[in-house]
Amino acid sequence: MKRFSVTKLLLVVCLVAVLSAGVTTLVSAADTYRVAYIARAQSDSFAAWLANEMIAAAKEYKDITLDVFDGQADDEKENTAIENAITNKYDAIIIQPNNGEAQRPYAEKVVEAGIICITTNARIAGIEGASSVDADPYRQAAVNAEAALEQVPENGLVVVLNGPSGNFHADERRKAWQAEFFDKRPDVKILAEDIAHWNKDEAMAFMEDWTIAYGKIDAIISMNDNMAAGALEVVMDKPEYKDILSYGVDGTAEAMLLIQDGKMTSTCLQSAIDLAALNLETVHKLLTGEATQIDTDIDAPLVNKDNVDGYVEMYKARGMYD
Amino acid sequence: MQEAVYVTDIKLRVSQIEKSFPGVKALDKIDFSVQRGTVHALCGENGAGKSTLMKIIIGLYKPDAGQIFIDEQPVKVRNPIQAQSLGIAMISQELNYVPEMTIEENLFLGRLPVTRFGNVDWRELRRRTVKLLEEEKLHYAPDQKMKTLTVSDIQMLEIIKAISNNADIIVMDEPTSAITQQEVDLLFEKIEVLKKKGVSIIYISHRLDEIFRIADEITVMRDGIIVGSFPISKVNMDQVISLMVGRKIENIYPKKKVPIGNTLLDVKNFCCKNTFRNISFHVNRGEIVGFAGLIGAGRTEVMSSLFGMNSFTSGTITIKDHSYFPENPAKSIKNNMIMLSEDRRRYGIIPIRSVMENASIASLERMIFGGFTHAAVENELVSEYFSKMRVKTPSMDTQIRSLSGGNQQKVLFAKWMIREPDILILDEPTRGIDVGAKYEIYKLMTELTEAGKGVLMISSELPELIGMCDRIYVMCRGEITGEITNRNDFSQEAIMKLATGIVS
Amino acid sequence: MKTKKTIKGINPGKYSIFFVLLFMILVSSLLNKNFLSAGNMTNVARQLAVGTILAYGEMILIISGMLDLSAGSVLALSGLLSVGFYKNMVQTMGVYPTLTIAFFLAIFIAVLCNIFNAVLVTNLHVPSFIATLAMQTIARGIALLYTKGQNILQIGDYKIIGQGQIWVIPTPIIVLAVITIIMWYTLKHTRFGRSLYAIGGNEEASIASGINVNASKYKAFIFNGVLVGIAGVLFMSRVNAGLPNGAIGYEMEGLTAAIVGGTSFSGGVGTTGGTLAGSFIIGFLNNIMNLSGVDSYVQQIVRGLLIALAVVYDVRFKSRKVNRVILVDDESKKSVEP
Repeated sequence: MKRFSVTKLLLVVCLVAVLSAGVTTLVSAADTYRVAYIARAQSDSFAAWLANEMIAAAKEYKDITLDVFDGQADDEKENTAIENAITNKYDAIIIQPNNGEAQRPYAEKVVEAGIICITTNARIAGIEGASSVDADPYRQAAVNAEAALEQVPENGLVVVLNGPSGNFHADERRKAWQAEFFDKRPDVKILAEDIAHWNKDEAMAFMEDWTIAYGKIDAIISMNDNMAAGALEVVMDKPEYKDILSYGVDGTAEAMLLIQDGKMTSTCLQSAIDLAALNLETVHKLLTGEATQIDTDIDAPLVNKDNVDGYVEMYKARGMYD
Repeated sequence: MQEAVYVTDIKLRVSQIEKSFPGVKALDKIDFSVQRGTVHALCGENGAGKSTLMKIIIGLYKPDAGQIFIDEQPVKVRNPIQAQSLGIAMISQELNYVPEMTIEENLFLGRLPVTRFGNVDWRELRRRTVKLLEEEKLHYAPDQKMKTLTVSDIQMLEIIKAISNNADIIVMDEPTSAITQQEVDLLFEKIEVLKKKGVSIIYISHRLDEIFRIADEITVMRDGIIVGSFPISKVNMDQVISLMVGRKIENIYPKKKVPIGNTLLDVKNFCCKNTFRNISFHVNRGEIVGFAGLIGAGRTEVMSSLFGMNSFTSGTITIKDHSYFPENPAKSIKNNMIMLSEDRRRYGIIPIRSVMENASIASLERMIFGGFTHAAVENELVSEYFSKMRVKTPSMDTQIRSLSGGNQQKVLFAKWMIREPDILILDEPTRGIDVGAKYEIYKLMTELTEAGKGVLMISSELPELIGMCDRIYVMCRGEITGEITNRNDFSQEAIMKLATGIVS
Repeated sequence: MKTKKTIKGINPGKYSIFFVLLFMILVSSLLNKNFLSAGNMTNVARQLAVGTILAYGEMILIISGMLDLSAGSVLALSGLLSVGFYKNMVQTMGVYPTLTIAFFLAIFIAVLCNIFNAVLVTNLHVPSFIATLAMQTIARGIALLYTKGQNILQIGDYKIIGQGQIWVIPTPIIVLAVITIIMWYTLKHTRFGRSLYAIGGNEEASIASGINVNASKYKAFIFNGVLVGIAGVLFMSRVNAGLPNGAIGYEMEGLTAAIVGGTSFSGGVGTTGGTLAGSFIIGFLNNIMNLSGVDSYVQQIVRGLLIALAVVYDVRFKSRKVNRVILVDDESKKSVEP
């Protein structure tokens, strides 16, 4: 019997906590625009960063309160979160899709319900009445690929690290490398290519095996910075790889340091700060009726040894380094 | 033996039924018949073949030979469903019901009324259930869950279920084993009503007093044959008991007289809410103390509580003049009291582990130096006891489950012997093992008494108790109904009287 | 007596896992000339250190009839807090003292999480599957909360634990070797180890034999915690960062290695050597597929098939033995009883 009552008590406590949280949002939201931000996953480091920046950016707007919901990297959960936001009659809903096509019908529902809808990182294109703010994954990879066209030596030997297949960013970035680099440089040979699921540790294991199998490798082409950093971790201290080229995307704090140290070649910054600011700017315009539909992108700046210092400063200002 | 000459109106008759299991002839040329509208009691010791015969009648077993007649028409009963359609129902010792189901679902389980669309017709179901319950004057709500009912309620419902199936032969296997006296009275009233309706009842029970109350005829079985069949008025209880236990005791018991020492274990007023009450007994050094009783008398429960496997409500226990409170088996073992369980598979062996590990598991501290088991010492100790007990195993690494039952039991015996305990509780130590192994276990028990240990033996085999024990306590329905202190007074009749609860 | 013959034939599978491993090494060395090189062997061992240590923890729990689904998350949490502590304190305390404390901090955190598991499993009777599933989410949540979802960078000399070497042998391999020896001895020669097998083999019989089952289960979880904590340190220092999203799904790799290595999901069976071999079989398989440039999707299929095969072997081979044994049992009864 005792055990039952303890369990019940816990349940009640949870319930009260949830309810009171709900009540406070309702109260504080009385005279401002209520915006829901449905994040792809709080556990994905970029998505988490973006969510943090969204909250920070929202503080700049006194007439906006922003609530963040976690899609938990799961279509079903993300869709449920969108539906809940519609039910709760938010004034605007910003969706960071887990998988664009899976969220499309739900984004359409938002529009049908007469609620302002923005899709971001990545946008779901072609929804009548919805707006979008994005960093273009194709562009992000393409700026690196264009730089690589000149840097990778004649008959270069490269390895490729991919994100999870089916992921929009993973696929778009890989497409850009194909069209902007591999198709234009038929002399370059892909020694090996594998999926390291954006993860540093998985990329390390692949690179360890590849260095044994192939010996000479001229360049690491990675669809994100984490995997590039993992591959570099393996060859960093080996003199025979001191000239290896490596390309990532995202512009993580770690990648900036690697570029500054001359270990990584280049990346493209997908700035959560810029993306968040642009999102808030857009949603504010839509809420105040300044515009009715906006499609916009943040820049896709290439980061290399020449301009990395500025970005390092930016991260330093945000407390990302010691 | 005189045969029942009683030719009136035979409802069910079996003729020359035979059934063998590997190594055992369970039933040998059984002739047995039940009159319409009567109660026919079937009794005999455990393993006499009662259950096997009933399982053949309700179609669970296929007989090797013989024929079943209903209303003098030969029938074949292939399975319980077919038995149902022939009007045979069984209310078994373990009641079959689904605890989470409601009364109505359970009553019509397997034959729920359906609408013409094929889905369950809940309204019709409710109507029929209410009608049945009203007819039987039972005040249950049709949507009450089975698990909320008492055993006796469930039994009543089982009977109703059988009747609603138009059963006119009902087998009741130990129906009173789990219910109170008032509930027994209720059941018997119900049986009288059924008799008047022309239903025939085969009533299996260990409780002779009940049999003499309710039965019209009685049949006694022993070792797979029928030793007698009588109208109840033609016999008395003593006759029935001697028919039941009738075999001679061979001299296979290596009993030796050893001097009896001081008291090792003394138990006073040991109680556990529903299972046993006011149990008091003691064991002295050099004694083998027997516990007799029928299945369900509560002997195993008493010993499990004493050993710390189960809880108890009150009572005082003294081990060697120190009061003792059993909390768990580990504590009892530390106090040099061990228990060899009747359920070897559940509480005894660890099937997939080696015989060595099974033997050493209870005394690892004897093989430990500086926190680590010492393989050589372990091997030596286990081997010593294995050779003492003549354990036959291909190797020390053999999984215990691949040994025969007798050898498994010897390994378990060895496991406890390594600890050199003072008090040994042996629950059915020779169940299911062959004669040779039995003899070795008896010899070991004798050696233990010579070494001044105290042995408690629960057994359902009376000859074994009579052959080996110095004193015998007899239990019935959770109480000790008697103690036989003199070996000269040991007899199966005396024990059975106490065990069936007849006050002489 | 023909029964004796069948009994004698019972242990052919005992060393079969090592033959599989040897066979695999042989085939792999023929497929790729680099496979047997010292560089590749140390690579594989380094890659496998974390996974094998987790597999040992899972093995202990599976043997005693439980499992741990929280290993990956707890690894990440303990590793992160350890990295975080190191980064904050290294300036004031110096490299080696901080490193030592950070190492034990990781173990402490992981043990704490596992004590939580143990309380749920033994005292509150929650199935270990559910209890550790809850812990999986909780630990990951705390890890993300602590880092706000961001990687911890610039961890400095912390990486020497995972990337350094003593003489020519990489530290993770030395750690793995030491743990393997401790594991083997614990399972084979301590009372605790024996109790685990007994509990997994038949819990009720273990209680009746005087084993303190709850205490043993606690110890099993604590042992697992120590292993997970060590794995956490090795993992973070290997990747030279504090990754809150690291080691997702590692518990499954640990489980797989244990099962492939002959640990039986029904409890009571499993050996250190078997699990080590299981882990290396999977590791070599991945390694040779990478070396030979096997397509990523095909690799997944092959891995799946290996797991299915291992379990089929486990179930079929062992159940066949049971059937045979039952036959023996019946026959012996027949011959003596009448």
